[in-house]
Amino acid sequence: MTQEKKITVKKQAYLVNDEIADNIRRLMKEKNKLFFNIMGSIGAGKTLLLERLAEKLSPHYKIFVINGDVATTIDADRIAAKGATTVQINTGGGCHLSANLIQKELDKINIDDYDIFFAENVGNLICPAAWDVGAQMNMVVVSITEGEYVIKKHPIIFKGANIAVINKCDLDGLGFDSGTLVEDANKIKSDMEVICTSAKTSLGLEALIDALGIQLP
Amino acid sequence: MHEYSLASAIVEQVKKIAQEHNASKVKTIKVSADPYEMVIPDLLKEAYGIIIDELELFKDSNLELLILPAEIICIDCDYKGEPSIEGDDEFAYNFRCAKCGSRDTHLNIRHLTIETVDLEILE
Ligand SMILES: Nc1nc2c(ncn2[C@@H]2O[C@H](COP(=O)(O)OP(=O)(O)OP(=O)(O)O)[C@@H](O)[C@H]2O)c(=O)[nH]1
Ligand SMILES: [Mg+2]
Ligand SMILES: [Zn+2]
Repeated sequence: MTQEKKITVKKQAYLVNDEIADNIRRLMKEKNKLFFNIMGSIGAGKTLLLERLAEKLSPHYKIFVINGDVATTIDADRIAAKGATTVQINTGGGCHLSANLIQKELDKINIDDYDIFFAENVGNLICPAAWDVGAQMNMVVVSITEGEYVIKKHPIIFKGANIAVINKCDLDGLGFDSGTLVEDANKIKSDMEVICTSAKTSLGLEALIDALGIQLP
Repeated sequence: MHEYSLASAIVEQVKKIAQEHNASKVKTIKVSADPYEMVIPDLLKEAYGIIIDELELFKDSNLELLILPAEIICIDCDYKGEPSIEGDDEFAYNFRCAKCGSRDTHLNIRHLTIETVDLEILE
């Protein structure tokens, strides 16, 4: 004899991910560490910005960067050359990082050896938005060469961001325009910091470090 | 493209629930998702089909997906609920508070939730 039974569950499917993410956030806070999730479009300049940040910060802080890409270790190698410790996660077909992938990397190191943690998410303005990685702040990088409507076309990821970085502003006025992007970013979320940068010339780097809440002596 | 990870998260959770209830078969799983969680229903079903292919417990089971209405939280007046407008000519997702009309809103994305599971239980 069998019997049918309806079970009311009301439970998040990837509760597991959010639980791991919350644990990471709690641990980082307890240990007085900073952890930032850097998301953004393909080729927006996430890695070059991290190179600049590593140059600027590593004389004063120990930096650990987790790079997420579908394939290669190019980004991790680039940032490592600037004084940070890096590790590359290859997601295979995966279009985003998740908390368990971050946790796996954190398990391999001693968190106390570092002060500031960054995750460079997979270049993608859609999927990473739905996956909490346990960071204290989410930052989204777009660049002015992607066209003036890139924020309008991908508003959701900005809804969950603390900082919007409009990169490649060295090209501002040279056939590209940052104006609409800045305006759109401010309209989408008024409590989000909007910063224009150039990872090439380091324009706006100090403002970015400030927005991240990192003190430089 | 994250439908595969979602489908496997669902299967993992339901496996546990089935065990707790001594179930011999999983019949129907109902899940709900936020419209802005960007789950593509067909892809989710396809991924589910692939994952359960060799799982006896899940044989012939059904995954039903319910897309919920959007929910916002107003920064100006703390309203929480459906927006009055989701988009307009200017912005595709230019949500507007249904109470005070403000555009200063946060999107409250509710993560994919397993609502109910129908199980067959051996007596
Ligand atoms: N002119 C200019 N070029 C930049 C700037 N930032 C990055 N680039 C260039 O843009 C290209 C992509 O930069 P990356 O830093 O690799 O971009 P990314 O966002 O890490 O790319 P993915 O990880 O592949 O998604 C490189 O050729 C950089 O040299 C900038 O501020 N100005
Ligand atoms: Mg990169
Ligand atoms: Zn309101």
